[in-house]
This record gives sequence, structure tokens and C-alpha cells, in this order.
Amino acid sequence: MVTATTKGLSRAHEIYANRGRRMRELRKSGKKIIGYICLYPPVEIITAMGMVPFRIFGDMSEPITAADRVSTTVVCPFLRSIIDLGIKGKFDFLDGAVGAHTCDIGMTTIIAWRDYIKDAPFTHLIDVPHTDHAPAVDYFEGQINFFKKHIEELAGEKLDQDKLKQACQLHNKQRKLVRELYDLRKSDPPKLTSMENLEVMVSLFSLPVEEGNELLEEVIKDVKERSIKSSQKKARLMVWGPVFDNTSLYELIESSGADVVVDDTCVGTRAFWADVKAPYDLHALAQRYLVDIKCPRTYRDTQHQETERDYDKDLDSRFSYIKKAVTDWHVNGVILQSVKYCDTHGYEVPNLRHYLDTLGIPSIYIEHDYSERSLAPIKTRVEAFVETLG
Amino acid sequence: MENATPALFFAGIDIGSTMSKAVVVDAQGTMRGYVVGPTGAEHRRRANKVMEDVLRTAGITLDQVAYIISTGYGRVNVPFADKQVTELTCHAKGVASLFPEVRTAIDIGGQDAKVLKIKNGRLTDFLTNDKCAAGTGRFLEVAAETLGLGLNEMGRISLQSDTPVKINSLCTIFAQQEIISRLSEGQPLTDILAGVYIAVTTRVVKLARQIKVEPPVVFTGGVAKNSGMVKAMEVVLGIPVLIPQEPLITGALGAAILARDEAFKLVQDGHYKSEKKQLSEAYIEFTEKNERKM
Repeated sequence: MVTATTKGLSRAHEIYANRGRRMRELRKSGKKIIGYICLYPPVEIITAMGMVPFRIFGDMSEPITAADRVSTTVVCPFLRSIIDLGIKGKFDFLDGAVGAHTCDIGMTTIIAWRDYIKDAPFTHLIDVPHTDHAPAVDYFEGQINFFKKHIEELAGEKLDQDKLKQACQLHNKQRKLVRELYDLRKSDPPKLTSMENLEVMVSLFSLPVEEGNELLEEVIKDVKERSIKSSQKKARLMVWGPVFDNTSLYELIESSGADVVVDDTCVGTRAFWADVKAPYDLHALAQRYLVDIKCPRTYRDTQHQETERDYDKDLDSRFSYIKKAVTDWHVNGVILQSVKYCDTHGYEVPNLRHYLDTLGIPSIYIEHDYSERSLAPIKTRVEAFVETLG
Repeated sequence: MENATPALFFAGIDIGSTMSKAVVVDAQGTMRGYVVGPTGAEHRRRANKVMEDVLRTAGITLDQVAYIISTGYGRVNVPFADKQVTELTCHAKGVASLFPEVRTAIDIGGQDAKVLKIKNGRLTDFLTNDKCAAGTGRFLEVAAETLGLGLNEMGRISLQSDTPVKINSLCTIFAQQEIISRLSEGQPLTDILAGVYIAVTTRVVKLARQIKVEPPVVFTGGVAKNSGMVKAMEVVLGIPVLIPQEPLITGALGAAILARDEAFKLVQDGHYKSEKKQLSEAYIEFTEKNERKM
């Protein structure tokens, strides 16, 4: 078990609990704050323009009451929560909101924002193709260029190539530090709980990149010095799936007698595993976001030039990064979680479970509706899953 | 090992959404007594009552019970239990103790249905429906209420039908309306009832097929006591199913057997005595508190 809470971690805890506070301060000092939805708007451009990127999340503890007026109820409740919070004025510190066609509802969310949310008068939609084919990368580069021009208008100045390079390097540094932090969970027991880790991740999405990097350095230093006692937990789990920005699921799993040691979600590894490569131009950004981020919203069709399809080879090319994580973090079970109505992740589940079966790694699939109350019925299944591993 | 054990009984308590069950086993894992009663609103009092009843049935005192495992929906409300284990693990254990060869267990309770895959006596995979009452005992209760019949009576009558009416709605409430419209169309009651069982079963088998039904299949839960339901299950699955003599208590039985395993492990590790003392004290304290309240 992990021992005392450290200074860096308690700061992360505060930021997690009040994500908008630092943004409001920065805005008062004249900074422009640009909110973005999902992982696909290139934050490097926002940072390079002297603005602050802020990842827009929902709120699992806030019932969706205002969004029904502008969206149907049978779509992603995470994105519905964002619209709901927006209508309720919870993002009044934003100067702009950027969305991307990560999925259909991801796109309509930014359109709903433009039409119904008064805060953040600057809105922009980035179209994102759904394969990693070379022409798709070129197309995406063009879309990033549109975004660049639009944000230049907002800033009243041009994007400086050197500043973009610096921003890429700052964000790459953050990614490297996050990977270093994740390494501290390879031990048994991990030096950091999944709840603590998530609070740090959410903090990084709520701070300017330089401040996030300082926080990470502080956290890593403190956590490295922690002494760890032997683990009472029965299992080392990986959590896979779409956005999970709330510690509640991790608390539920960890209270069921398992450690969550690594994840494949966009509030964790997915967001920080890939770097932008030199020469740090728009093409490098397109490559990083469309090809190197491993989210099921992009079909990684590496064999598209072959006429014969080999199912096992196909699975391996899509999921071998998961195999690597399972090995490196000594994972003995995977919890596949998804928010209800997520086609993107839902269609991936049978293939991924089959792949995990072939690796001999037990898995379980759970679905929730992005509210704290929807987690309670999941508890028994998670506990039973952990019991089967014990 | 047994010489080191002064008390030789172990108990499992299964507080389900509708019924509470308790089982006592001896050191050999043989069942020495069981009780079944409605859960009601007060889980804690119920747990206490069911424990007292099962001790009486088995003819033993609490002192003789070395270890207690609680399971089921209300497992957290058994303050004198030494450990809580999910009903999925307990059912698998209980079913495998009765049918060692079992590969698939289908359990339909008052408010949920679960499908367990078991291999060599161990739970390997499972699915549960926890979204709504379709495909659970509640569905049958609603149908019985609508038709003014008792549950057993409903099962018996349905057996006379060879041409079940099709009930299409998966939602319990819509299905109730469908039953009423079939009645008003003048369809025979026997066929409607047979249709009700087929509808519930289809729902659960659909769930089971997600993780593949492999024989032998054991059918448990309160609903497995209903003759109409058993027939429907065999028709829809296309294979015979095995039913325990008392299909309600497999969860509690599994919990009791796990309690025995756990206690033996504690004896081996040398922790047995302190555990036992804590258990008795907790139980006495709880009983006194409850009496004052009443």
C-alpha cells in the first residue's frame, strides 16, 4: 500500500477538485484560454500562440438537466455532460472552444456549443479522417492548417515556427515525464494509486504546459522516495476504454481488492504516449495525432495494401501496444470499460477481448452512463472478476 | 488439521434481493442444515434471523460455527460475517459442489439473472443482467399478478400447452400489456402462460449465448423451482438442464463451502483462534444492540 500523501500530489488533488481556478487567474492576467474536446485538437498550436489549452471534461456528479433541450438522450453521456455544463455556465473562463470529428457526437458537440453556449465565442471544428492511410494524414494536415489560420485571426498575429517548435518540445517533455510517472507503477505494489495518478493527469489538462511539467517533476520526486509495503491486493489490472476523468471508477476497482497499474484511456497513456517528431511542423502534428495516438476512433489499418486479410495479424497490428503494456506492468486482468452508446469503443470490444483471450489475459466488459450512480451495479461484477483472478 | 479445529461448522448466508438463504456445512463440506425466507426491507435483522434459524435447523450453537461468509445483494449487511464474497463466485462454488462436471450455470433470481461459466469447479467467466427486470423472477411475478394466479399454479397450467403464444416485448411492463391484449383476443390461458415462460427464458438464454452455453447446464435460483420455467428452458436451449434439489440455496451453499476452505486456510496460517473470538463477540454485540432497538 502507498503511504503518505506528498506535496505534489496534494496540489494535484486541489487542482483536480477545482479545475477552473488557475484558468480564471490566468485569464485575469490577460491570457486567452482555449478549451478543447477529446485528444485531437493539437494543443501545441494553442501553446505556441501564447494561449492556454484547457481540456474540457464533463462532471459525473452533476445530473444532466439542461442538455436534453439541445441533444438527444441516446448519445454519449460524457459529451452530453459537457454541453450540459456549458449551458449552465460552468466554462465561463474560456475564450474559445475547439472540437474535432473524433466521432460523430464529438463533432455535433462543438456545433451545439457554437449554437447554444454563450461562453467562449470562438469555436472551431477540426475534421479528422478515420484511418491512418497516407492520404488521410495529408488531409488532416490541411485541417490543422485551417485551425492554425483561424486561431491566428483570434490572436491577431501569425504562428511563429520557432514558437511551435518550442511548444512541441514542452509538450513532449510533459509526455516523457508522464511515462516516467507510469514507470513508478510497475513495482508491486505500485508506488502510486490509480486515483492519485488520475488526479495528476486531470491536473495536467488544467494547467499551462510549463506548470504541468513542474507539477510532474515534483510528484515524481516525491513518489520515488515513497517506501512501499508488500501488497495485499490480489490482482494487477489494466483499465481500457474511452475517457474516464473521475476517480470514482478507480476507487471502485481498488476497493475490490485489485491495483490498477496501467490504463489505455485518453486521460492516461493514450494522451501522453506519442511525441511530436522533428521538424515539429504541421505534418509532424498530423502524424502524431492521427497515426501515433492509439484510439479506436482511428482504424489502424496497417495491412491495407495487402489483398489477403489475416485476422490474427490484423489484431496484432491493432493491439500489440496493449500486449506490451500487459507485459511491462505485469497485468493479470483487463477491465474494458465504456460509456454507454460509444460505438467507437463498443465495436472494438469483441476483437480486443479475443486478442486478450489469445494472450491468456482474463478480461471483463462493463458499461456505465457517465454518472456516479451508474457505477454501483458494476461493483459486484468487478469484485467477482477480481475473485476469479485471486 | 481437524484436531486443531474445536468448532466444526461453517456457514454461508446469501441475502438476495427477494429471498434470504443460509446453509451450514460440516468439516467435510456436507450440508447440515439450510433455511430460506423472504428478505424484506430490513437486511440486518433478516440476516440475524436467518442465522438463528439455520443454527436451530442444524441443531448447533453459534459457538460451533468457525467461519461465516456472506454473499448476495445484501452481503454488506451481515455484520457478523467474517468475509464477503460475491454471489457469482459463491454460486459457481455451490453448483460445482453438487455437479462437479458443470460447465454452465444459469441462475435466475427475483431481480437479476446471471450466467456463469465454470471449469474444474472454478468460475471462469460470467454475465449478469442488472439493467431491468426482464428475464428475472420479477417478470413472472408481474405476469402472475396480472392473471390473478399463484406462481406454482401458473407453472402447472402452462405445461398443458404445446403452442405457446409469442410475447414479443422484452420490457416487463410492455409484456404485461401484451398479455392483457392476448387475453382479450381470446387466446387460451395455457398458451399465454407457456408464452410468458418462453419470453423470460429467451431473454436469459440470449445473455447466456454471449459467453457460449456449454453442457452440462445447471439451472438454479428461485425461478428454477417452477415447472413451467424448467420446461421452457429446455425448449429454448435445446438441451436438458440439471436442477439441484433445492435450487434456491446454491449461493449460500457455495458461501458455506468457501467459509470452510477459508477457515482451514486460517488454521494453517495460525490465525484461527483470534478470528473466532472476534466473530462471537461481534455477533453478541449485534444481537444486544438489536434487542435494545426493538
